[in-house]
Amino acid sequence: MISGTASVGELAAHAPEIADFGAESVLLGGVTGLSLVAELRRPAREAVLPPGLHPIVPPAMSLLAWDVGASPWGAFSAAFVRVVCRSGARARTFCVGAAASTASAVQGLQTQFGFPARHADVSLRRHYDEVGLRVSAESGLGGGGSDGRGKGHAGRNGSGNGVMLSVSALDPDPLSVGDLQHVGSMNLAHTPLGLRLVQVETHHEPSRVERLAARIDAFDAAAWGQPLLDPYWVVSCSVSLEDIEIPAIRFVCDPALPAAEGTERVQ
Amino acid sequence: MKFGIFYELSVPRPFSRANEWLTYHNALEQCRVADELGFDHVWAVEHHFLEEYSHCPAPEVFLTAVAAQTQRIRVGHGAVVCVPEMNNPIRVAERAAALDIISNGRLELGTARSSTWTELGGFCADPDDTKKTWDEFCRVIPQMWTDDDFGWEGARFEMPARNVIPKPFQEPHPPMWVTVTTPGTELDAAERGLGCLGVSAAPFAEQERRTKEYYRRVANCDPVGSFVNDQVHTLNFLYCHEDYRQAAALGLPMVSAFSMSNAHLYFTREAYPTRAYQTLGNAGAALRSRGTPNGSAPADDPSVAKGLPEGVGIGDPDHLVRTIRKWDDVGVTGINFLLNAMEMIPQQQVLDSLRLFATEVIPQFQTPDERAARVHAPTTVPDVSPTDATATATMPEVGEAQAKQVEAAR
Repeated sequence: MISGTASVGELAAHAPEIADFGAESVLLGGVTGLSLVAELRRPAREAVLPPGLHPIVPPAMSLLAWDVGASPWGAFSAAFVRVVCRSGARARTFCVGAAASTASAVQGLQTQFGFPARHADVSLRRHYDEVGLRVSAESGLGGGGSDGRGKGHAGRNGSGNGVMLSVSALDPDPLSVGDLQHVGSMNLAHTPLGLRLVQVETHHEPSRVERLAARIDAFDAAAWGQPLLDPYWVVSCSVSLEDIEIPAIRFVCDPALPAAEGTERVQ
Repeated sequence: MKFGIFYELSVPRPFSRANEWLTYHNALEQCRVADELGFDHVWAVEHHFLEEYSHCPAPEVFLTAVAAQTQRIRVGHGAVVCVPEMNNPIRVAERAAALDIISNGRLELGTARSSTWTELGGFCADPDDTKKTWDEFCRVIPQMWTDDDFGWEGARFEMPARNVIPKPFQEPHPPMWVTVTTPGTELDAAERGLGCLGVSAAPFAEQERRTKEYYRRVANCDPVGSFVNDQVHTLNFLYCHEDYRQAAALGLPMVSAFSMSNAHLYFTREAYPTRAYQTLGNAGAALRSRGTPNGSAPADDPSVAKGLPEGVGIGDPDHLVRTIRKWDDVGVTGINFLLNAMEMIPQQQVLDSLRLFATEVIPQFQTPDERAARVHAPTTVPDVSPTDATATATMPEVGEAQAKQVEAAR
């Protein structure tokens, strides 16, 4: 069994703070959600995860984007870059970067659930035969990018114009609402218990799910805080219309320890 | 009750040529010993790219070596992945027939469709199609084995008429099976008259429910082959020691490590939304776990280990006899055992465990005559007599008639 090898200390430098675990669950209404899975190149496999998490083979990235109609934080859009992993035996993702379109959403995602969110322009648009996602950094906050050498239909690193992420997807194919699997996030945050991986689950009530053929037109790994990420092979993409509940945090885990040893219950 | 051994050929990290060599050759020695001890089957899986969990992409090669080094034990080619990007059905039929000849009619052929994105994605296979291609493979392979002029125009496979040769040594053909990981696949097996080769653990009550339904449906099936294989085998672990505590001390970590490596596979449903894959494999344990028995920890508590499934074959001989009696009561006709994982148990202790199990446990379930006899598949053959199309007759003991042919040829 392989485990992450990233320095917890280095990861901690960019971790948000959760001052207390008293936050209630959050309901997101009228959500258009996009979920994309892409394989990563092997150097990213262990190197992007803390020792408490385990990579999968092949290494993979899970992109998530929401266009939210109503929430306690108002209407907003957000995108999340996550690395697929295991916590103990359980399917999870490690969130390495997030972006949201409003200050209140950034603050809520950071302080209530430990998402490493930053402010950015996030646009998720669903049309009858296509879906487009574009995340652009605020002026001066882009990662700068690098040369992309990915396979033809997958991601290109960096556009140099502040575009952190651009995805285009075509030809929606309806699926049953139960066909889409959602996997929770492990978010590294400074908490009252210390630096912890915060387990964030989401409960989804979709009314429509479609699978599409997608390509990553731009991906600025450095802008998401992890230059090693190179999503070179798109596996799948789906879009859904749904309501989402983010329940209150119940479990955290020491990022340096395996789940069986490092898990603490907070509620 | 039949007893088999089952190989994923899991290899410990750090990977090395020596580690893979040792895993393969330890397994071959175990097969030779199992053959001498009276075990009935040896099964080897087909998996690709599943680092650590299974380094067994060419089971037909491994099983050919087993066949050449053993006399009695049946060789289970299980399971062939019935996805055209991985295997052409003609090649499956040819290879299997050749292995049946080499083994003097000891082949069992399992069929499967793969459950991981790691494998399907590696071959650029479409997960939406695997159930359909599996179904088509199951139908064409027995016809290739028995028809001298076989052609096919199907949805996912076609070929002009040819005589696919060689024909298998067993007549009409080797027994066929389906590996059952996802609940419900046992019904697919039953409806096609295929044996149910369980490869995932289920509690006794769940296994009993599924087994009963399998038997109910297989009794009225429309077999894809020339006869019905109505056996139900389940997968288990084996570490047998006179001292229960020593058995547990060595065996349980092996079970946990293997289960953990399984949970770390990248299951198709997690990567690719599709109707064709409805479960998340063992990685989805949190979704169906009951948590701790006293309810102190909820199902998704990451600190709660998944725990051992019921009826694991780890313990002293008395414990194993009691455990197997429960499996017998559930209705399974065979148990296939994983003997090791990542070579965690030293080879000598694996062999000692096999010998103790064969000495103390197997005799409780098989008579000396049964153990000495050639292993044959307890299948039934439809009587093709036009006067009674529904009658069945016991399949001739595999090997007897063929052995006479061989003697005559010599």
